[in-house]
Amino acid sequence: MTTADDTRLAMQGTIEALTTGDGSEPVVVNLGPQHPSTHGVFRLKVTLDGEIVQDAEMRIGYLHRSMEKLAEERTYTQNIPFTDRIDYLAAMSNNLAYCLAAEELLGVEVPPRANAIRVMFAELQRVASHAMANGTFINDCGAWHTPLFHMFRDRERVLDMFEMTCGARLTTNYMRIGGVAFDLPDELLPTLEQFLADMPENIANYEALLLENEILHARARGIGVISPEMAINSSLSGPVLRATGVPWDLRKANPYCGYEDYEFDVPVGEQGDCFDRFLVRMAEVKESLRILRQVVDNLPDGPWLADVPLHARPEPGESYARVESPRGELGFYLVSDGGPAPYRFHCRPPSLINLSALKEMSIGGTLADAIVTLGSIDIVVGEIDR
Amino acid sequence: MTSQYDATAAMEIVNADAPGAACVEDGVLYLEPSEVAGAVQTLRDSEESDLVFLSNLTAVDRELHFEVVYHLQSLDRNHLLQVKARVTDREDPALPSLTGVYHGAHLQEREVYDLFGIRFEGHPDLRRMFLWDGFPGYPLRKDFLQMPGQVRAGLPGFPHESEENAWPVPGSVPQRPQHPNDPQPEGDLVVSEEGEESS
Repeated sequence: MTTADDTRLAMQGTIEALTTGDGSEPVVVNLGPQHPSTHGVFRLKVTLDGEIVQDAEMRIGYLHRSMEKLAEERTYTQNIPFTDRIDYLAAMSNNLAYCLAAEELLGVEVPPRANAIRVMFAELQRVASHAMANGTFINDCGAWHTPLFHMFRDRERVLDMFEMTCGARLTTNYMRIGGVAFDLPDELLPTLEQFLADMPENIANYEALLLENEILHARARGIGVISPEMAINSSLSGPVLRATGVPWDLRKANPYCGYEDYEFDVPVGEQGDCFDRFLVRMAEVKESLRILRQVVDNLPDGPWLADVPLHARPEPGESYARVESPRGELGFYLVSDGGPAPYRFHCRPPSLINLSALKEMSIGGTLADAIVTLGSIDIVVGEIDR
Repeated sequence: MTSQYDATAAMEIVNADAPGAACVEDGVLYLEPSEVAGAVQTLRDSEESDLVFLSNLTAVDRELHFEVVYHLQSLDRNHLLQVKARVTDREDPALPSLTGVYHGAHLQEREVYDLFGIRFEGHPDLRRMFLWDGFPGYPLRKDFLQMPGQVRAGLPGFPHESEENAWPVPGSVPQRPQHPNDPQPEGDLVVSEEGEESS
């Protein structure tokens, strides 16, 4: 069970395969927990026949912080910072999903300006998160850091906007039950205008650099394929599901925060492979910029936070609210027993559930393909383990 | 907009196939624990309900029983149904696994097993997921209060701390006089494993 034992067994396997020389012994290789391709403390134990993956088993829990238990002892407002740390690359989306669930429980009406600001930051977060996802994915394909840092340049500008609004870049703690914590600062809208003006050219540059790139095609086309039926049956969501051609996006299917008022398309893929996931994310960034343009043009005035008591005690009951986070369907299931803290706090983590089909995607491919597949799913280990 | 699928309609679909497997209480569909897998499969395959997507699977400790909660979604018809099953045996809670119906139930059932100790019969790979084998207890149960055994709550003492400053009983949580729960303003109230005592 222990890491040391597994490592020893894996080494034995390697030595045996090398000394017998016929290559018929399956070799167990541990990817991680400390491995650059696993994007965090995540361990994938693969059984190899030569280069071909025969079995892939994931071992997780290295980052388990028992947030669901801790949240049962804190008030509804005190739990908001926990949600930042669940998915630290999309803190705004997590804030939003949790606040929506708490608002459903409390029956709070959110002012229109707060809804517009929430949409603005959720979409900025999507741009930043997809920049990270696509950048590291290309990194896994072998383009060592150059495209990643081009995309990080855009992400950096988004994080600067977060910082000027709420003082934090990653763990934002910006949304509140009933709205957002602060109004937009004066310097935000000009910065955002400049960002919206610059992004189309940047995206065109990435597309010119990457879409026709022969190496990227060789590494990602036809790799990690999953059928739409299998994807639905495996509860996959987000870009991984949409890459198979299923146009399931909660912003369209179950609009929240006034998404029904904005015009945007749901990009889908055709083949359900790693390259399609990359394309879907690239197209979603463009759609996010479209939504941001409309939010900035139609930003309503008024209050940005409803009048909600700090220690709100909802009636006994339960709520399940979902948002389309950059990684997929992010849900919060809250149960109240009438007390000041949730009786049960559960997060439906898209990163964990999107891994349901990792084994099926990897088996039969090479080890290098398994790494590309893992990169294309875009996991955040904080959200897997919570 | 995703609508809530009517629980009574779902009950009729399930009961037409397996009489008595479902009932509705306060607008929520409850399934007979032994019939969960078959009933959910009926709901998935029925043209009318078409609940092909397992959105969420989790459990709640209701102290007298466990409540396993399923959120099922139809993508084409865009409705959501919440389904519950009660597990009354707290000593050895068990429920049929949904892995044969939804591949996506694999990891979510393992998580519930890890944190609540509910066994899912028929799960092909039911092991602890976040915690290690041999971890004492199931942390999301309401009767799990602190680490049993020799594990002491809090940080270990600093070397320069004298014996008197050390915590009185391993496993105890000192509550200082200014603690809001302390009924006596003078003296420390010490909660130990044996019970409460004032020092």
